[in-house]
Amino acid sequence: MRTWLTLHGQAAAAALGRIAAQPFATLSAVLVIAIALALPMLAAVVLKGVSSAAAGLDTDPHVNVYLALDATEDEAKKLEPRLRSHADAASVRFVSREAALQELKSTTHLAELLASLERNPLPHAFTVRVRTTEPARIEALRGEWQKLPKVDQVVADFEWSERLGRWVRFGDRALAAVGLFLALAVVFIVGHLIRLQVLTRREEIEVSQLVGATAADVRRPFLYHGIFQGLLAGLAAVALAAAVSAWLQYELRALTSTYTTEFKVFFIDWAGLIAIGLGAALLGWIGAWVSVGRELRQFAKGR
Amino acid sequence: MIQFSAVTKRYPGREALHDVSCEIGSGELVAVTGHSGAGKTTLLKLAAGLERATAGSVVIHGQNLAALGETALAVLRRRIGFVFQDHKLLFDRNAFENVALPLRVAGFTGSETARRVRASLDKVGLLEREKAMPVALSGGEQQRLCIARAIVNRPSILIADEPTGNLDSDYAGAIVDLFVSFNQVGVTVLISSHDERSLDRVGGRRIALTKGALAA
Repeated sequence: MRTWLTLHGQAAAAALGRIAAQPFATLSAVLVIAIALALPMLAAVVLKGVSSAAAGLDTDPHVNVYLALDATEDEAKKLEPRLRSHADAASVRFVSREAALQELKSTTHLAELLASLERNPLPHAFTVRVRTTEPARIEALRGEWQKLPKVDQVVADFEWSERLGRWVRFGDRALAAVGLFLALAVVFIVGHLIRLQVLTRREEIEVSQLVGATAADVRRPFLYHGIFQGLLAGLAAVALAAAVSAWLQYELRALTSTYTTEFKVFFIDWAGLIAIGLGAALLGWIGAWVSVGRELRQFAKGR
Repeated sequence: MIQFSAVTKRYPGREALHDVSCEIGSGELVAVTGHSGAGKTTLLKLAAGLERATAGSVVIHGQNLAALGETALAVLRRRIGFVFQDHKLLFDRNAFENVALPLRVAGFTGSETARRVRASLDKVGLLEREKAMPVALSGGEQQRLCIARAIVNRPSILIADEPTGNLDSDYAGAIVDLFVSFNQVGVTVLISSHDERSLDRVGGRRIALTKGALAA
């Protein structure tokens, strides 16, 4: 156990020594990897912002039936059973003009403007959940309900929000694919850098093996090198992404304050930071493992 | 201690050893002789576990090398000191670090490493030169540095490939005396030379090779 700790301690120290001995090469390597990691992180941040905004939207299929401004509540109540009895209607909710005004006041920044109005500009309305999203059937519903007495407008406006939801899901998938490719790129970058290290230490490796170093002994310092490089790059990527996202946030806040749903650009917590650090270290380890193994086999062939 | 049974070693395109059987007992001092290309280096490398036989069996310390995995073979090598014909010193580090390499590989730490390295350097007369880089050492000193590295692990078997090769006779005699002194304290020594005269001071048994086979 003590020997094991000693061997790992020595390997880690050797790796740190190598990193410290080449500060410029290390810095440029770490930056390249950090950029490859920061890109999908930024994309994820933006996408998370969009999807949290989209989650606040009503994406269930529904149709709003607005009555004429002069319609009374009694007239409205008479309409309700006729809407309810329709085969495609799942549920019907009556929204009185007063309730609608209250809702608008509480959810938007238009309170002052609304208060300055002499009378309530909103009509009575029904929100009807429908059982279909088929455009043709929705259109048929609209036509039918449009003809009911005192109905002013029938609006089916959930389509765009549904489409937005689809885009967010599409974005999620695209991000996963791009993230996977960039993770692979990190493995290759680390692998290439470690390969150069292995080649410059070829003699040392050869002599070490002659005096009894096992393959694991030879691999160990390079694996630590890969891990440290990945870890540094992961932290640099978080810093990079945080800086860019802070810069974006400034503009976005100004832009989004006018909307009812807050478009938030938020950033990762400690758990996320640790996960990214460990993930990057793991990628570095994999890259080092693959490349050292390959080079050692080449050496063995040449002997 | 080292047993060869019908050992054949083939490299791509040539056969270096053919059907060699011999045994080196514990505490023996054996000299392997023969012209260049007779297979001396191959025999020594096989006896040190640096290479594997193509056919036949090599048994070291009671372990059949053919049955050992790469890792076990590497670990076995730590118990055998080898003095390379071309020294195989690392020129990017000083004498001390060159000798310390086998200890670092075996997982020794600071104070024990320093103690053993200095003891080894002292035995070969290089204690004063521990900070010197190999390029600053003469050919004979490089040879002795390589011997210091071979004995730092306190091996029970010490193998030297042409240790007197490029040295003048006085110097060669001093190196041979060194190996004789290791043998006197119980180390099994296997030494090769193409020059019989340089081995005059060496007592012990001879293994003569001709064209990859034991000479009759």
